Amino acid sequence: MKKFVVTVNGSKYEVDVEEIKDGAVVSTPVTQTVTSEQPKVTAPQKSAAKVDTAVPTSAQTIKSPMPGTILKINVNSGDAVKKGQTLLILEAMKMENEIAAPSDGIVASINVSQGVSVNTGDVLVSLK
Amino acid sequence: MFILATLDRLNELADKKQKLELGGGQAAIDKQHASNKLTARERMALLFDEGSFVEIDAFVETRVIDFDMQKKKAPGDGVVTGYGTVEKRLVYAVAQDFTFIGGALGEMHAKKITKVMDMAVKMGAPFISMNDSGGARIQEGLDSLCGYGEIFYRNTKASGVIPQISVIMGPCAGGAVYSPAITDFVFMVDKTSYMCITGAEVIKAVTGESVTTEGLGGSEVHNSTTGVAHFRFAEEKACIDGIKRLLSFLPDNNLSGAPVYECTDNLNRLEEELDSIIPDGPNKPYDMMNIIEKLVDSGDFLEIQKEFARNIIIGFGRFNGKTVGIVANQPSVMAGVLDFNSSDKAARFVRFCDAFNIPIVSLTDVPGYLPGVAQEHNGVIRHGAKLLYAFSEATVPKINVILRKAYGGAYIAMNSKHLGADMVFAWPTAEIAVMGAEGAANIIFRKEIAASADPIVARAEKIDLYRTKFSNPYVAASKGYVDDIIEPSSTRVRIISSLEMLSGKRDVVPSRKHGNIPL
Repeated sequence: MKKFVVTVNGSKYEVDVEEIKDGAVVSTPVTQTVTSEQPKVTAPQKSAAKVDTAVPTSAQTIKSPMPGTILKINVNSGDAVKKGQTLLILEAMKMENEIAAPSDGIVASINVSQGVSVNTGDVLVSLK
Repeated sequence: MFILATLDRLNELADKKQKLELGGGQAAIDKQHASNKLTARERMALLFDEGSFVEIDAFVETRVIDFDMQKKKAPGDGVVTGYGTVEKRLVYAVAQDFTFIGGALGEMHAKKITKVMDMAVKMGAPFISMNDSGGARIQEGLDSLCGYGEIFYRNTKASGVIPQISVIMGPCAGGAVYSPAITDFVFMVDKTSYMCITGAEVIKAVTGESVTTEGLGGSEVHNSTTGVAHFRFAEEKACIDGIKRLLSFLPDNNLSGAPVYECTDNLNRLEEELDSIIPDGPNKPYDMMNIIEKLVDSGDFLEIQKEFARNIIIGFGRFNGKTVGIVANQPSVMAGVLDFNSSDKAARFVRFCDAFNIPIVSLTDVPGYLPGVAQEHNGVIRHGAKLLYAFSEATVPKINVILRKAYGGAYIAMNSKHLGADMVFAWPTAEIAVMGAEGAANIIFRKEIAASADPIVARAEKIDLYRTKFSNPYVAASKGYVDDIIEPSSTRVRIISSLEMLSGKRDVVPSRKHGNIPL
């Protein structure tokens, strides 16, 4: 019996899963327990919720250089941007770090939202 | 007959010389050009002042008789070596000749290179190595390895004695990469050059990872990710011009000074713009490059490793015509924090400057070290220590200007008084403290904040209190940790004046073989 924590629509469920080998039906049923870890809808969604829309293939991803919080997003999906233009502001080390476009392009996807916490390497925005 | 015989011999020489010019043959030369690469001789011609190149060992040939080498052999053995002047200064150079069996390194090929290296050290002149080679000559077996070993040994022995510059203008794979790795500066050319220990095919076979050669070890990878290279150029001529530009800042050897250029830029220039260049909000970024360009002679700054660890800037500029090494935090990239890459980048540069008697000026605006498990597990402790070691060890004149933040260990690491900086200046906007106000207030006033009726207001009050008392340069100045607090507009004047004063500096170093820098 293996334990997993499954997150569905922001709610966490602790489940026990039994692997069934060779098509044989195993006696112990899969149990599902709801833990008290359901985040309140009103609470600010910090690390759990990330707007993770898929990045279009052949798009150039811009990743976070350090852990921090998204303070402000200056562009929308579909905007044309110039090299060096500030796409969003990442608050980290008590500084407003401007994340700039590395080249001219069109914003293909915005993968975070304001207030969200990110780690080094998380995709923030992608450009085409 | 006697006269004819001599004439024949002269003709024979002329004949052989003509053949030498063709290296591996016209067909091979054409193929080189077709791949957007120049030949070894063309590169030498671009590097050296016209007519100044003197070739040595043009007639050297391989001694190996196994594996058809006697049929394949050619004079020169795949490398062009010699000396000449670059902007009137003596420079030694070797350029591998890809047109001859892919520039593969064999015993005599390596001997040609080591001969020139030995001369460069003896004569005290820079050594430039243009790499364009398929690697070791398998037919020569262990003698090829011996060749490489002899080269690496000399790179090491010459390190800190003469400037050594490697230029990757083609493949540089396997053991061959260690020569550039030991040298002081590595130039790469986009698309036609690469460096890697094991190539993409072997990696695919052993680990299953799929990667292109360019993606594994091309110029972009080594300039932005690995930190192995220092410069890259889109094409060879620009690359060679870049080498000349770098050379103009460097001394011939560790006993001569760097060339002094006539300074046409006013020594007493006040830069009014600097007075307002720091933004009002302590959390707003700005571009440190603007400040550097306003301080150095004529705004002429040669940035090194521009794409690697961009949160710190290193490079050469001149003050009053003399070369100075500059180390500056870059607040607009990763808040200007120190981390393992930037510590490595700056530490190696500081040690190069120290080895070659180049004074160091640092511009500090650093909020601390970057937190994170990745940093810790990548040894930020070990790497960060390198920067502290490098500054402490350096006996060249060291000047530090603290522009804004200088917190905690990062304050110490950035050329502080405690590590032996000769002159430390602070701008009025400097905040020299153990840590930022928010963090500090939380710790010092924890009990008061917790006990108060409104903790949020209390915390804000305590933060302001801490900020007023500590986030300024006056506390540090009152202890003599800062020598003077200056108007930003006068920074250039103060730096030049300090450099003049420090020009005769002699530091006493206890006798020892060498220290044990954490690596």
